[in-house]
Amino acid sequence: MNPYQWVWQYAKRSRWQLVLALILVVINAIGVVVVPLLGGVIVDRVITQHQLNLLIPLLATMIGVTLFRTLIRYCYIILFERIGQNSLFDIRHDLFTKLQSLDYTFFNSVTNGDIMARLTGDTDAIRHFLCWVSYNTLECVLWFLTAVIVMARINWQLMLALVIVTPLIAWLTTRMSNEAHTVFFNIRQSFARLNAMVEENISGNRVIRAFAREDFEVQKFETLNQDYRAKNMDSARVSRRYLPALDFLASLLSVIVLLFGSSLVINHHMTLGALVSFNGFLWMLNQPMRMSGWLINDIQRFSAATIKIQAMLETQPVIAPTTDVGAPKIKGAVTFQHVDFAFPDAPEVNVLTDINFTVKPGQTLGILGETGSGKSTLMNLIARFYDPTHGHVLIDGRDVRDWSPQELRHQTTIVTQDLFLFSDSIVDNINYGNRQAPEQFIREMADVADANNFITTMPDGYHTVVGERGVGLSGGQKQRISLTRALVKDPRILILDDTTSALDMETETTIQRRLRKITQDKTVFIIASRTSSLRRADQIIVLRQGRIVERGTHDDLLAADGYYAETYRRQLGLLIETKGTDSRGKTEHV
Amino acid sequence: MAKRNTSNEDEQLKTHFNWHDYARLGQYLKPYTWRMLLVLGSILIGNVAIILGPYLMKVAIDQAIPQRNFQLLWGLSGTFLVSLLVAFGCFRYRIWAITEIGQNLLIDMRTDLFKNLQKLPFAYFDSRPHGKILIRVVNYINTLSDLLANGLVNLISDVISLVITLIFMFAINWKLTLDSLVLIPFLLLWAYYVQKRQRTAFRALSNKQSNLNAYIHESIAGIKVTQGFAQEEHAVNTFDSVVNDNRDAYMRAVKIQYALSPGVQNISTMTTALIYFIGIQQLGVVVSTGTLIAFLGYINNFWNPVINIGNFYNSLVTATTYLERIFETMDEQPTVTDAPDAFALPPIKGDVRFNQVSFRYDEDGPLNLDNVSFHAKVGQTIALVGPTGAGKSTIINLLSRFYNVNSGQITIDNVDLSQVTLESLRTQMGVMQQDTFIFSGTIMDNIRYGRLDATDAEVVAAAKLARADTFIRTLKAGYQTEVQERGDSISAGQRQLLAFARVLLADPRILILDEATAAIDTKTEAQLQAGLNELLKGRTSFIVAHRLSTIQQADQILVINNGHIVEAGRHADLIAKRGEYYELYDSQYRMLQAE
Repeated sequence: MNPYQWVWQYAKRSRWQLVLALILVVINAIGVVVVPLLGGVIVDRVITQHQLNLLIPLLATMIGVTLFRTLIRYCYIILFERIGQNSLFDIRHDLFTKLQSLDYTFFNSVTNGDIMARLTGDTDAIRHFLCWVSYNTLECVLWFLTAVIVMARINWQLMLALVIVTPLIAWLTTRMSNEAHTVFFNIRQSFARLNAMVEENISGNRVIRAFAREDFEVQKFETLNQDYRAKNMDSARVSRRYLPALDFLASLLSVIVLLFGSSLVINHHMTLGALVSFNGFLWMLNQPMRMSGWLINDIQRFSAATIKIQAMLETQPVIAPTTDVGAPKIKGAVTFQHVDFAFPDAPEVNVLTDINFTVKPGQTLGILGETGSGKSTLMNLIARFYDPTHGHVLIDGRDVRDWSPQELRHQTTIVTQDLFLFSDSIVDNINYGNRQAPEQFIREMADVADANNFITTMPDGYHTVVGERGVGLSGGQKQRISLTRALVKDPRILILDDTTSALDMETETTIQRRLRKITQDKTVFIIASRTSSLRRADQIIVLRQGRIVERGTHDDLLAADGYYAETYRRQLGLLIETKGTDSRGKTEHV
Repeated sequence: MAKRNTSNEDEQLKTHFNWHDYARLGQYLKPYTWRMLLVLGSILIGNVAIILGPYLMKVAIDQAIPQRNFQLLWGLSGTFLVSLLVAFGCFRYRIWAITEIGQNLLIDMRTDLFKNLQKLPFAYFDSRPHGKILIRVVNYINTLSDLLANGLVNLISDVISLVITLIFMFAINWKLTLDSLVLIPFLLLWAYYVQKRQRTAFRALSNKQSNLNAYIHESIAGIKVTQGFAQEEHAVNTFDSVVNDNRDAYMRAVKIQYALSPGVQNISTMTTALIYFIGIQQLGVVVSTGTLIAFLGYINNFWNPVINIGNFYNSLVTATTYLERIFETMDEQPTVTDAPDAFALPPIKGDVRFNQVSFRYDEDGPLNLDNVSFHAKVGQTIALVGPTGAGKSTIINLLSRFYNVNSGQITIDNVDLSQVTLESLRTQMGVMQQDTFIFSGTIMDNIRYGRLDATDAEVVAAAKLARADTFIRTLKAGYQTEVQERGDSISAGQRQLLAFARVLLADPRILILDEATAAIDTKTEAQLQAGLNELLKGRTSFIVAHRLSTIQQADQILVINNGHIVEAGRHADLIAKRGEYYELYDSQYRMLQAE
């Protein structure tokens, strides 16, 4: 869709305000012409013909018209600003809503800085277009047309001589438009890169300090700054090529009037008075020509800004959000039937292959596997962050593809390894999934997650504000808060993805014991690297390179003497080995 | 803990803007004085053409036409054309020079801001949403550059034409000139009235913009939580209300901002009317018709620059609200800096001492470390154990001098850390943090962050040592695979392995592992450990871990509780002692073995 059609979708929602604003623009334009005319009348009637009684009424009219006109102008400027803001609001709303629906295919390929640039810098260029470029362009067109008509009536030959320049201006502006478009898109891209770099510098400040990479970061920043500067100089290059030329052509009109107009007067084809008034209207023709280059810059900046926004709005999430009314309450039976999965950007690499299992409502499934064996991906399929490439995932016997992802996620919660807390109070973080949760319930759940104790010792207790991503809290604290957050949501299916890895084993065991009590009617998935977390699960599966290689209960798997048994022995064995005899430093690692 | 700011509350300004800040701004312009003067010259020369036009027309009307003098007419046109060509050249120069000055200014200011940001403590970043820092470095400074370069030059040229016009007016008729200045005080009053409100309004707006940026930033970073908890609708509602606040603040601000210009225009028209009125009363007495007409022409010339100056003033007031935020960030004092006589720490052998170290994060808070002393000999492995919040990470943070100790001393090879340069210290320390951070870019570059001049082969070797090589090779583009900060294409465990490779590549003299392997499975961890043992020979290392199995071989185990070292010794000693460590160990053992 071209940028104008696209933006019209938003602007047209304020079409009546727009019509009103346009009428006001025309009224103001008339006012602008009237005031100098009044000056002419004063000179002709009052000074030349000495009609002194007309002076006061004329001056009063002059002041009155100006007062009226400036008020009108103020009104339409504000009106345009409001139209711009309203459209901006809608555009941002749409973008943000889209953002919420996009999945990881999008987030894996676009930097945060670029997304931010779309919601801030790009939308601002659109705002500028709607509330400034719009009426300035309109004013220009208005001046131009008025001038052409009025001047043609004064002397059409002279007007025609001026019009000769017009094709040249049209040619220049078209060429400028084309060149400026690319240039502004490049500026936008460079801005997004800069934004992304600074954003990561801020987010990664701990790593940067730890590696003492401040100088390197400044260098990176410098490079991007230079690039941004270079892109802006490219724009200056385009401006330098066309703006002075347009300005020159606009001024050339004055030369034509001077030379050709005077000749017409000398040859009696025109009166001197006509030449003077013709000259008086010249600015109305000049000004739009001078402005055209600047306006083109703004228009192209706008047009370049819409590209990435439109692209984002058109991105279709692989798993489209649907509002599935009347979705049944989940009982909690989860079945995987011959499930294969590969990421969309690497379809040839199967991350999961032929996964089959059934978990009954209220049961617990433990998952063990090496780093990167597909454990987290498996869990993502249950909450429909991805859909399997082959096979079926069934919840209560119904294919997850038939569930709306929102409905599923309302009843299924994953506590991810990658912990994220919002910069907000702890209590608002905890009730993120269930804002009506009573305080009592929150405290109970915090107690289960062993979070209540440390939260209450904080200066503001539950109302302590934590930093973005939970910075300032230890890994263990973050894990316990995000576990509480999941429990407060009271889901039917609870997925714990290595949720307690940063805790000491004693705390972990306590949490697990309490968890078992409150999750008796929930289906629970536990991913863990400590076998102590898994041993009480109803079923345990072991993943290796995306396949289930072992399955059974703790005892079954110990008997099978495979990976699980090996891990168990390694974790236990180290302890046993050193418990009796001091074999410090001699323990063999396999 | 300092009060944290969130995306839904406005930040308080530490110091309000004062005139001294404009002088400071002037410092940024100083290097470009000459170029700006050249630009100014080009504007003034360019303006000659504009002034010349009406004059040439006047000559044509007065002389060439009545005299039917074509030669003069051609001469006039030729002169006009030449002056236009000169103006053309001036304009070309101006566009280029102004952009260049503006862009250079932008780089200067932004770099200063960014450099200071690199020195600020963790607390600065932890106490406000990151989007609010970002907007200062990127967006606010962009707004400023145009004002500084373009606005200032135009201001000067406007002031010059204002002065010239005034001189002409006084020369023609000083009484009328004084009359035409009668309304100026009203203009100033109006400007003052508008400005006061405008500044408040724009300050409010910049706060709302900052909040919006923060909310957007956080929403993107936390998108997976939002989606996982099916809170999209709530997020959109919050966003809408933030954008709405932004819209309201914006409308309030522009309503005030645009009020200046109608004031100027009305006063201008009133002045014109006043001159007509006075002039016509005195027509023929002290004022001739020609004088009156000329004078009225000059009044127009007078008001154009005034309107421009008003506009400049307007944007200056707007920009001031950004400027005060920028200077605020530039003035933010780093808490840990190099001592004036700091020297580079020589290559570390690895003898680390804590001498009665006490430390608190909060000036008026409790001690987070209380009189901690220990000695790590060259090549030893020191394990830190204890409950969450006991002070383990604090010890480690002090070792890299992320904070300064309140009392006591930390030495490496008998050199006090407070006397060495931060860079020389930190480049020799390898810290593997709890939070792994991945930069957007290739896997290769992410590992290479540990040592920038490492060859590809060295990067691969480090990845092998960190047991990351195997999974990297299964990625579609291997080491050249692009990853994103928030991406999902590698798992949390894999991220930890990458961060590990990064630390190993740095080849640090002292290695610090702060819960470094929590997300890694036991088997990979064991393999990793084997590789590490090789690497650690002769190097001092510190390990914070909850899995006691990983720390049993440590030369010293320090049990930390409540900011104190409560027990210290080797595994066997501590077991024999039957103290806290034994308790911890025994409970783990029981939990693993049976219930």
